[in-house]
Amino acid sequence: MMRRAVLATSATVAGISLLLALKPHNGGLAVASGSPAGRSGDAGSATVTPPEASGPSGSVGPSKKGTKSGGKSGASGTYTGNTIDTRYGPVQVQVTVAQGKLTGVKVLQTPSENGRDRRLAAMSVPRLTQEALAAGNARIDTVSGATYTSEGYIGSLQSALDKAHA
Amino acid sequence: MTAVRSGHTVPNTRRTHAGPHRRGLRPGWVLGVIYAGALAVLALWWQNTDSVVGAAGWLTDGARITGLLAGYGCAVLLALMARVPAMENGVGADRLARWHAAGGRYTVCLVAAHVLLIIWGYALTDRKNVIGETGDLVFHYPEMLKATLGTLLMFAVGITSARLARRRLRYEVWHLLHLGTYLSIFLVFFHQLANGAQFVDRPLAKYFWYTLFIGVSLVLAWYRFVVPVARNLRHRMRVSEVRFESPGVVSVYVTGHRLDDLAARPGQFFRWRFLAPGMWWAANPYSLSAPARDGLLRITVKAAGDHSRGLVRLRPGTRVWAEGPYGAFTEAKQTRRRVLLLAGGVGITPLRALFETLRGDVTLIYLARRPEDLALRDELEAIAARRDRRVLCFVDDPAEYSLSLTGDSLQAVVPDVDERDVYLCGPPGMTRAAHRALREAGVPARHVHHESFEF
Repeated sequence: MMRRAVLATSATVAGISLLLALKPHNGGLAVASGSPAGRSGDAGSATVTPPEASGPSGSVGPSKKGTKSGGKSGASGTYTGNTIDTRYGPVQVQVTVAQGKLTGVKVLQTPSENGRDRRLAAMSVPRLTQEALAAGNARIDTVSGATYTSEGYIGSLQSALDKAHA
Repeated sequence: MTAVRSGHTVPNTRRTHAGPHRRGLRPGWVLGVIYAGALAVLALWWQNTDSVVGAAGWLTDGARITGLLAGYGCAVLLALMARVPAMENGVGADRLARWHAAGGRYTVCLVAAHVLLIIWGYALTDRKNVIGETGDLVFHYPEMLKATLGTLLMFAVGITSARLARRRLRYEVWHLLHLGTYLSIFLVFFHQLANGAQFVDRPLAKYFWYTLFIGVSLVLAWYRFVVPVARNLRHRMRVSEVRFESPGVVSVYVTGHRLDDLAARPGQFFRWRFLAPGMWWAANPYSLSAPARDGLLRITVKAAGDHSRGLVRLRPGTRVWAEGPYGAFTEAKQTRRRVLLLAGGVGITPLRALFETLRGDVTLIYLARRPEDLALRDELEAIAARRDRRVLCFVDDPAEYSLSLTGDSLQAVVPDVDERDVYLCGPPGMTRAAHRALREAGVPARHVHHESFEF
């Protein structure tokens, strides 16, 4: 009786730990289940190629405000990224770019259906923004525990930067 | 969830038969299906989980796995108690009850682990303290208030079902409380779909879960409600007579319309509910103590619990509500021509019926405490004389008429015991000793058919 209880408990704990251990532990490798629409090219990786601050001319995203100066110094202005639908809700950011350099990120929407969603966003967004500004691009790590929000953020950021540099 | 409290009331059954095939599902198959379902549930988690990141990830996903398994466990526990004839007759009601009890303990532990892990994991993610997170979870997540109530109810049932507590509680009270688990499982169901990461946005997983629970509910409603109601409306059973057999042991005779249609076989049992004051709300399993014939069913019961004591006072004409027949302790288990029936105390009841009807060379060993406790002895001797069978009665007191349950003593009284099928029914201490003695006497385990006395 006692022995079977111990056996069942240890087998369950071991089994569950094994399952958990077999999953990847690097949040960056995960793919958000929402359509990675805003993400360019390399779906499957949350880190994204750094945008080249190049193309002076060409069309800019419809949401572009502000001026866009030509020349090698790169674009300037405000660009709104695509809305990325994650499993828990949409994420969308807006970037401010000065001479091809990322100077600000404003979050337009994050999942907010319940308290947990809101808190996850409140916890992860400042860190993501900090990292993005430091890196100057969308090649940043996801915040653990907020993988989906992070991926939505990164995807939207990438699409905004793509527009800025298009 | 069924049955009789230890050592007292009457045995439930299983069955036997010389026939080439047995009715009902094999226990191994049923267990296989249960484990396969558990694997499918784990696959559901695996399929819908991308990564497990950091301490919070480990805790939260650990909570998800335990939660999924606990939900699945609830469905299995309900199915085990759904009184599906193929399972009652193939696996046996006593074994189903043991599985149900063990599975119940396991499931309650999973639920506890799920609750602790999810609170801890979410608290880490949110960087909140555990108490604040708990309040948040209970009050601000969809369907969580209901789930909390259901979980508390489940724990209450779990605690009262623990062995020690159960001993202090009347069986009938415990049984009634146990029915609260239906409500509990209903209450917690909704939070699984509303919050479960494996279900949000996954219609297929949702359908799977709905199918599982609705399917189990339908089976349950059918076999525990529709079928019994239809049967009882049809057969309209009543007590016809109550007879004293030995100190504290009474036989209750039950009549009704077209009872032959029930096709109750010797060795089987019904769950009986007598519609008398103070008794109508408890259904207890008692074996038939005689083959059903002439529109008459008989049970023989030792007064032990409240229910069985009440039987003494039953008046002829009392309405009876019975569910059954159940049990696999019948002629279907017989594979050899020679048979030994081994009865301890009131465990005689199913064996009394089998003693009359089994084919071949049948010997009955009947053990009791005192000579006056040998209930039904006269009719056993009458059957023995009529059908040329042997009855050997032994009592502990006086000691010169006792039989110690060892391999040697069994062989001394039944020299060919190792070539017989053995049907064993009695109180737990006696059956444990008997199993050991039979092994010593060289009876292969597959030829020992045992119906546990208590559930």
